[in-house]
Amino acid sequence: MKIKAFWRENNTLLSVALILLALSIFGLFSMGLEPFVRTTLSGFTLSALYFMVAAGLTLVFGLMDVLNFSQGSMLMIGAYAGWQFYTNPTFLFGLAPLVFALMAGLTMMAVLHPLVSKWRIPEQWQSRLRALLLVLAVVIGVLAVAGVDFRGLASTAMVATMVAGNPLAEATLQEPLASFWIRPLLLFLSGALIALAQARPGDSTVVVYKDQSRRSGMIVAGLLALVIVATLVRESGPLAVLTTNGNLRFVLALIVGTLVGAGLGAVIETTLISPLYVRPLYQVIITMGLAFVISELIQLLWDPLPYAMSRPPAFSQPGKAENIWAFFQGGNTTVDILGVTFPSYRLFIIALGVLMFVGLTLVLKYTRLGMIIRAGVQDREMVEALGINVKRVFTLVFALGTGLAALGGIGAAPFVPVEPVMGDRYLMQGFITVVIGGMGSTTGAAVGALLLGLARAFGDYLALKFSLSPAISEASTVIIMAIVLLARPAGLLGRRE
Amino acid sequence: MVEQDFILEVDAIHTFIGQFHILEGVTVQVRCNSITVLLGRNGAGKTTTLKSILGLTPPRIGRVLFDGRELQGKRAYDIAAMGIGFVPEHRAIFRNLSVAENLRIAERKKGDLERKAEFIFGLFPDLKRLYKLPGNHLSGGQQQMLAVARALVADNKLLLIDEPSEGLAPILIEQMMEAIRELSATTTVLLVEQNFLMASRLAQYYYIIDDGKSVHQGEMADLIHDEALVHQYLGASVRVEVGASSGRGGGK
Repeated sequence: MKIKAFWRENNTLLSVALILLALSIFGLFSMGLEPFVRTTLSGFTLSALYFMVAAGLTLVFGLMDVLNFSQGSMLMIGAYAGWQFYTNPTFLFGLAPLVFALMAGLTMMAVLHPLVSKWRIPEQWQSRLRALLLVLAVVIGVLAVAGVDFRGLASTAMVATMVAGNPLAEATLQEPLASFWIRPLLLFLSGALIALAQARPGDSTVVVYKDQSRRSGMIVAGLLALVIVATLVRESGPLAVLTTNGNLRFVLALIVGTLVGAGLGAVIETTLISPLYVRPLYQVIITMGLAFVISELIQLLWDPLPYAMSRPPAFSQPGKAENIWAFFQGGNTTVDILGVTFPSYRLFIIALGVLMFVGLTLVLKYTRLGMIIRAGVQDREMVEALGINVKRVFTLVFALGTGLAALGGIGAAPFVPVEPVMGDRYLMQGFITVVIGGMGSTTGAAVGALLLGLARAFGDYLALKFSLSPAISEASTVIIMAIVLLARPAGLLGRRE
Repeated sequence: MVEQDFILEVDAIHTFIGQFHILEGVTVQVRCNSITVLLGRNGAGKTTTLKSILGLTPPRIGRVLFDGRELQGKRAYDIAAMGIGFVPEHRAIFRNLSVAENLRIAERKKGDLERKAEFIFGLFPDLKRLYKLPGNHLSGGQQQMLAVARALVADNKLLLIDEPSEGLAPILIEQMMEAIRELSATTTVLLVEQNFLMASRLAQYYYIIDDGKSVHQGEMADLIHDEALVHQYLGASVRVEVGASSGRGGGK
């Protein structure tokens, strides 16, 4: 009885496990131990990366029904931000005050609401005023940014990656503080003008939320304080970062990359996605457009070149560790696993992926936020009726999703090229992963990622061995998706509706 | 009549859903510590009235006063947090959450559930036994009890209960009525109910909503004897047979 019930509840997972087991026994005997272990480990590495993209996708889709086509771009931004922070953070430190200032300006919207909704403006002038404000904001914004040393900073970063020994030599002097201040100020003004336009001056039908104005006021104040701090440490910051120990710097880079991704996600959700919940198709289009914009911006700032991020010292000591324990002491480049020489950094990626899955599962299962997410997936209105601010949960979950992708990006940066096409590449695989696993299921995303990663790795192996076209490994993922969808239209662990 | 007698005052609200004008002037006043029932045919706008009070479908015209405070322009979660509990129709519990989690999620302050546990399990002893089970393993009656219990976890001054007897067997309707009567000793209840027998035995006051307008109001005791009025607005299917259990039973 018990076994029967267990089978009924978990038949999908168990069948997948059985199929994988059968395939691996077959593979083990037909391939021999060495190639089998190597291919499997490569597959796990890819699985971990796919999961990092897919986790955010499936989480956001499950709760909010939003298909985020910019998820791959978030991975890319995480990779660029982390890599830039690790090799030469001058650029990021120069950018930080400007970004904070713009965000402070944009957050003014809720503060402006109660002030401007009572203005008396004839109706036909309201939309013209808004257009005028937006044009003005863009002009001021461009004025503020024009001449900023973006391109120059980017080229110092490029040089720094090549001069392995001493990146400090490339940390260039920047413009004097006194003349720098004008930029964040102008950007704050530009942001505030956009906020003013969004607050719809004179439109008395706008509902004014008092407590929200107060909260936004505090956020604006906090952001302005950040602008000041960021401006002051603009020059000393990069030096301080570059002189810290490489491993610590890598950990910091992981954190910075994740925070940039999560912060950007929060901004995107509140400004672009949330006004469009009534028009789901527009959300798809806007995230798609965003992916193009981000890709172009990255090519503008960093040139369309592939960069290689060096591995942190903990994974770059020459020589091969005899086993995992020896690696922990020596920090070697490669590790011996069951007789296979495997790059140690890839093990780190696998561990990161597993950690992310376990962490996410625990958060979903045991925290209040997780409970609210699971409840919200089923019935948003009821969650709201319990007195929970679902909108804020949405922003949080979106930021969590993009943050996870960004963490995946910076994690992957030391062994895949950091380039402007990496977003698209992982987005596609992430979507296939989510479709296989079932929209909205985290475990499904993990299973899908596992299948996909292994399919890619073994596909590559077969293509090499029988000198077939490498396209079969790419095709294999789509074939798996087709088979799964034929057997289970909702995906392996998707909700059946 | 003094203002403070009423915990909730709904004043001529108009609510639109999309382009449809659902409520065209609903006025409801709910007395403190009473049970008031909204009656009316299917699609008359009873559920929308509850949702409009809660801000889930905010009224475009008219005003709602709760506990002396204006609700216009507040969001649903703020309104709920002011002390309104909502029991939606169709037993909308969170099926993928356990019974414990269904209750836990309704907490507004830490420890709400611990403080209320005794009261809740006193009303619905079954839930204590089912505490660890997932919501989708519960029977219809148990789900309905959980939905009511969920609204009791936080300190709510007003409960909006939508069709608690829907699809329940007669014996469970009895139990549900007993529970609602018991909890109304400490809080105010605004009920939507199709089962006229249940409504007539529970509520002290009634409002009849027809075609999005509130058309009649008064004390329940008077309505029971006004068969013509009942017939006009609630349809012929409803017969007032006090004492007999003629509920729209069925279910599990």
